[in-house]
Amino acid sequence: MRYGFVIDQDRCIGCHACTVACKEEHQVPVGVFRTWVKHIEKGEFPHSSRHYGVMRCNHCDDSPCTEICPTSALYQRTDGIVDFDNRRCIGCKACMQACPYDALYIDPNHNTAAKCNFCAHRVEMRLEPACVIVCPTQAILAGDLENPASKVSRVVATQKVSVRKPQKGTQPKLFYVGVEGDLLEPTRLSRADTYLWSDRREQYAGASANDGVNLAGALAREVYDVPHPTPWGWRIAAYLWSKAVAAGALLVAAVLLTLAGQTASTLFNIVCPAGALVGLAVTSALLVFDLKRPDRFFYLITKPNFRSWLVIGTYFLIGYGVLASAWLLFGIFLGSVPRVLQWLAAGFAVASACYSAFLFAQAKGRDLWQSPLFLWHLLVQAFVAGSSTILIMGILMDPTAGALRPAILILLISLIVSLAMNMGEIALPHISEDVRIATRVLIHGRLSRRFWGLVIGIGIIAPIILAALAMLGAVPIAFAMIAAVLALAGLWWFEELWVKAGQSVPLS
Amino acid sequence: MKDHLPLNPQALDLDEPAGGLSSYPPSDRWDNWTEYDPARWPEKVEKHYSLIPTICFNCEAACGLLAYVDKDKMRVQKFEGNPAHPGSRGRNCAKGPATINQVNDPERILYPLRQTGKRGEGKWERVTWDEVLDDLASRIRLALQEGRKNEIMYHVGRPGHELIYNQRVLHAWGIDGHNSHTNVCSAGARTGYAFWHGFDRPSPDHSHARFILLLSSHLEAGHYFNPHAQRIIDGKMDGAKVCVIDTRLSNTASKADYWLSTWPGSESAVLLAMCNVLLQENLFDREFVRRWVNWEEYLREEHPARPQTFETFLEVLKEIYARYTPEFAAQESGADPRMIVEVAHEVGRAGHALSTHVWRNAAAGNLGGWQVARALEFLAVLVGAVGTPGGTSPSAWNKFIPTPPMMPPPPNAWNELMWAREYPLAFFEMSFLLPHFLKEGRGKLAVYFSRVYNPVWTNPDGLSWIEALTDESKVGRHACLTPTWSETAWFADYVLPMGHASERHDLMSQETHAARWVGFRQPVLRLALERQGKKFNSTYEAHREAGLGEVWEEDEFWIELSWRVDPDGKMGIRRYFESPYRPGEKIRIDEYYRWIFENSVPGLPQAASSEGLTPLDYMRKYGAFLVENNIYELHRKALKPEEMQGSTVDPVTHVVKKNGAPIGVEVDGSAVAGFPTPSRKLEFYSKTLKDWHWPEHSIPGYIKSHVHRDNIDAAKGEMLLLPTFRLPTLIHTRSGNAKWLYEISHKNPVWLHPQDASRLGVVTGDLVRVQTAIGYFVDRVWATEGMRPGVIACSHHLGRWRLKEDFGGERWSTALVDLKQIEPGKWMMRTIHGIQPFESADPDSSRIHWEDAGVHQNLTFPVQPDPISGQHCWHQKVTVTKARAEDRYGDVFVDTNRAHEEYRRWLQMTRAVTGSGNLRRPLWMIRVYRPAPEAFYLPGK
Repeated sequence: MRYGFVIDQDRCIGCHACTVACKEEHQVPVGVFRTWVKHIEKGEFPHSSRHYGVMRCNHCDDSPCTEICPTSALYQRTDGIVDFDNRRCIGCKACMQACPYDALYIDPNHNTAAKCNFCAHRVEMRLEPACVIVCPTQAILAGDLENPASKVSRVVATQKVSVRKPQKGTQPKLFYVGVEGDLLEPTRLSRADTYLWSDRREQYAGASANDGVNLAGALAREVYDVPHPTPWGWRIAAYLWSKAVAAGALLVAAVLLTLAGQTASTLFNIVCPAGALVGLAVTSALLVFDLKRPDRFFYLITKPNFRSWLVIGTYFLIGYGVLASAWLLFGIFLGSVPRVLQWLAAGFAVASACYSAFLFAQAKGRDLWQSPLFLWHLLVQAFVAGSSTILIMGILMDPTAGALRPAILILLISLIVSLAMNMGEIALPHISEDVRIATRVLIHGRLSRRFWGLVIGIGIIAPIILAALAMLGAVPIAFAMIAAVLALAGLWWFEELWVKAGQSVPLS
Repeated sequence: MKDHLPLNPQALDLDEPAGGLSSYPPSDRWDNWTEYDPARWPEKVEKHYSLIPTICFNCEAACGLLAYVDKDKMRVQKFEGNPAHPGSRGRNCAKGPATINQVNDPERILYPLRQTGKRGEGKWERVTWDEVLDDLASRIRLALQEGRKNEIMYHVGRPGHELIYNQRVLHAWGIDGHNSHTNVCSAGARTGYAFWHGFDRPSPDHSHARFILLLSSHLEAGHYFNPHAQRIIDGKMDGAKVCVIDTRLSNTASKADYWLSTWPGSESAVLLAMCNVLLQENLFDREFVRRWVNWEEYLREEHPARPQTFETFLEVLKEIYARYTPEFAAQESGADPRMIVEVAHEVGRAGHALSTHVWRNAAAGNLGGWQVARALEFLAVLVGAVGTPGGTSPSAWNKFIPTPPMMPPPPNAWNELMWAREYPLAFFEMSFLLPHFLKEGRGKLAVYFSRVYNPVWTNPDGLSWIEALTDESKVGRHACLTPTWSETAWFADYVLPMGHASERHDLMSQETHAARWVGFRQPVLRLALERQGKKFNSTYEAHREAGLGEVWEEDEFWIELSWRVDPDGKMGIRRYFESPYRPGEKIRIDEYYRWIFENSVPGLPQAASSEGLTPLDYMRKYGAFLVENNIYELHRKALKPEEMQGSTVDPVTHVVKKNGAPIGVEVDGSAVAGFPTPSRKLEFYSKTLKDWHWPEHSIPGYIKSHVHRDNIDAAKGEMLLLPTFRLPTLIHTRSGNAKWLYEISHKNPVWLHPQDASRLGVVTGDLVRVQTAIGYFVDRVWATEGMRPGVIACSHHLGRWRLKEDFGGERWSTALVDLKQIEPGKWMMRTIHGIQPFESADPDSSRIHWEDAGVHQNLTFPVQPDPISGQHCWHQKVTVTKARAEDRYGDVFVDTNRAHEEYRRWLQMTRAVTGSGNLRRPLWMIRVYRPAPEAFYLPGK
């Protein structure tokens, strides 16, 4: 048994009956949708036309949402339906980033994720989903793709069908007949600030008319869609930032202690591990409070899905926290930290800093975040954040501390590498149109002023100059602290823009 | 699984192989159906339902619904389609499932209300049904006793039941009191059809058509959206091509193979050009035309000097229509002449399998719009696609109205407040002129019932309605029978909550396809409670028990009211409301329908008994019955010998008459039923129109609309406003209580071609002021390539308003407005705020994410009655300008004095005449709630 949908857009008349029948069956609250009917128009009068696309969960055989879901609240049934159990959901919204089809939303009644579940409760009673039976023109078919005699199998076998975003490798089980191609390619649509019959809500992911998202040559115009809010906001950006600080504090400390031959001091024995722990605490707090169900944060431990990098990352953070605590205890009580512990901590720092690249890569909907450079970028960010933190703390403790020169050097090198990576992200050929658009939003579009001014100018180039001058002794060493503050600020802005730009490309 | 649902055979091909999913629970388990609770899923929590069929109440299509009544909570959980319904075949549009919003609307009216201040002041108090019934009954009784019959008026928007059931009531009272919405709706098309074949509606057989020609938007709206959309798409998928003639890119046009965007009003020119192509290229069905068109009468009357042969007729026909060249039509319409010819060829190729439909659209928009329907039917007649498989039948062949018990005789009464002398051919009541008739002192009303009718909002010139309804010397009592608030209800004395789709009994039948069926609307909670052994005398008792306030059903309201009008039976009214089973006692609703199902629906008693059910129980179980399927070409039905007995055949006209009434016609020597026209044939030539002083329109022709290009001066910034189109998700002003529909569509920007937008210097989202003859409104622009340049369009459902923050209008859909009379007759409306979230028992009301409620354009339209059909001609000549600094979104200004002048101007277009013997109206024409024959003559003659 392998259930799937066929939606025949030649039959579909754009009436929204499926939308409403679904809402009725599942009592879906106002503002969110399990299925909806997108309308687009193209052409010039009198050679103009309107087309409809029924959008919903594709019940992918290789479903990114079930992979990223940290608690297996989303899961695939043996009959192929991708279902969910809102009793397990912690509301992390990762599934909304993983799904390339905008299928998920947060149910405001439960603050948990929800989507089309093929009316699994009806299927158990051998009944078709609610959208199928209501459709006036029988445009929606549901059935067993494994049974060659089923209606869906016959259509898939004999007619010209297409799926959304096959390049995502998700193996979708929703097959369209007669669909206008631009409906499957949301980046090929132009958008106005309003719709044909309805208001267009502000919190759309970067899809306002003037954000640089639109292709100049867009053929079709989006004239009706439902709201698709941006799932991740400043808390996720802040989490990346505080995590970089936490990881960097001991990573850079370990490097300085072992490679640069710095000697143990209060700064390295106590301030650095304490800083790492504070950073970790802030990181955890941000993660928990970004959950729509913070009361369920412990499900990460009690109901883990080990395929999810949210879970793996949690274990890294826990491990790193244990090692940082040990470092601190050694520092306080013994005045020195064993080399083994330093290296172990550095290892977990790297893991803590970098696992987010795997998590963001699991966010399959967001091509920008699939960047292979991101892993290395996170590592460099940890060096930037760690060296900056050490410099700030060190200079505060001793404004003339010449011993911090190696730390300035690390900052300088990591900023230069960071600059190179930023330029690399921009300049390397883009793996997809989505990346190209997200990058354009970043460097030409509505985020570009902040990107060039704050991230690159104030956050990277200015501190490079200051740090270089401090290294050369052209300015007092305290100027390195200004460089460090600017570098941290630049990092903050980078994370924020990175999170925003990644979500600026419409998924549906 | 028992599979004996009387499904339409077409629905059966949907079946999956064994083991596959089914669409519906098997009917033998409807009474006790178990499903898992989707809210608790994947936990398997069982819910137990009683599945009770009923009928949707949102549009006129009367689609079947299946109510899932939760047996434990005694609430409706959801509405699905009723697979046993032959019209809708188990499927619905968005408005079907949205019924649950209407039933559960936290803002709904659950108890009768009485206005305590002056009408419109908005001071309401709860009142008992007894008080309401007694007050209304005593006023009606007094009016009847004092001979003021015409002061009682029942004005209905959506009846919910077949007209005959309320005809029983009003005729029992002896009055001509039925007023409807038809002349703001479909009178134009009805007139065009009726002059051809006597029947006033088309019933296209889309699913068998080879070519489908629509001047309508049946893939999104109209008579009958869901049933017709199903069949249009079935036909299309079976290879039919579709042509849509519509100025704007409707959803229907978006599915067409040919979209002809015509200048509004030019449609008959386009259709006649197609007729011309068929005639010149001999692509028509000669034999059909010879047999079934009244060409002999035409030649006899108009060309007596020429040889009276069919060949002469064809010559004349070709001569007359030669001037409708494709180039002429193109010049009038702006459409591509090559496409007009191509479509004509498609029509010719389709032959008998040409299905066509016009309902509102051009027929409702233009002066002379009724000729659009006539021209369209001319095409069908030429190719012989009348009543054929894949063709278009007259409506009545595909509709079945069972007779209720005890029909009272038609009264000798004629109400000129509706059937005004100036409009003898008006197809329905001149309903939308009522305020002007009252203003002119043509009469007054003692009791005015408005029933699911919102003239203040829906009709043109709503502020004249407000002026009339607030004038207590003109309207003595206004009782508004409605399940929801409306702008009109605000100006009533009583607001009386009537049930929604699942809260009342009604019988429905519509001409959805080549069949006849009846559908049964039922109060499902009452039924569910009765199945648990409870007993009720009336539906509102059941509703009270189920926690549904004091919501009545209308049938019982009229029975109760009639008993109170004539408590002792001395007025001869009461007896029509007595039980046919318990003489002298008040009829119960069960008995009423039991009698109909036992006596008036052929085949039903047999079908019921084959399942061991009584006819009533069969209908309670299935909610619908297919009376007859595959009905075609009834005009060819030979008259039976017993029908012929005692009949005479007119030697000239060949009309077969019996007892003075025509019963058929002889065609090529055999007596057949024909059509209910004076000639019993398809009337290319209408002698009626000639006799009633419209000789120039006696044959299908092209009347230049009031918004013809010649009347629009583009240089002065004049444009044409097309204000009539509907959305698939909403229904007039009755869906404002459906949150799931409103979140999809809630505003009506002005559609404007980008070329016009750039001329005006506006872009999408900018404000424009649209000036009509009597006022203006301010709306936002939607620049679109889906609109003909020079024309603007604005959808008609939106722009709902209320006058009080927290009462008197559904907050899901209405803006709060300030409405002021700034000086006598000059009204200004300004939006205080749009739609806002609000607190209620439904958490969704605090999640409202839309703010725009649209703009109420109809207020600014003068009445524009077509002098022949009586149809309000909706299209407006307007001047569109960029909004001024003082303009705000939603502003409406109207001068009702100018509105009255416009009324007078249009009244001048009539040619008031009477027929021979001072006839008010041709006797052969349909007249709803037809009074006694003697009432058709002016008194004193």
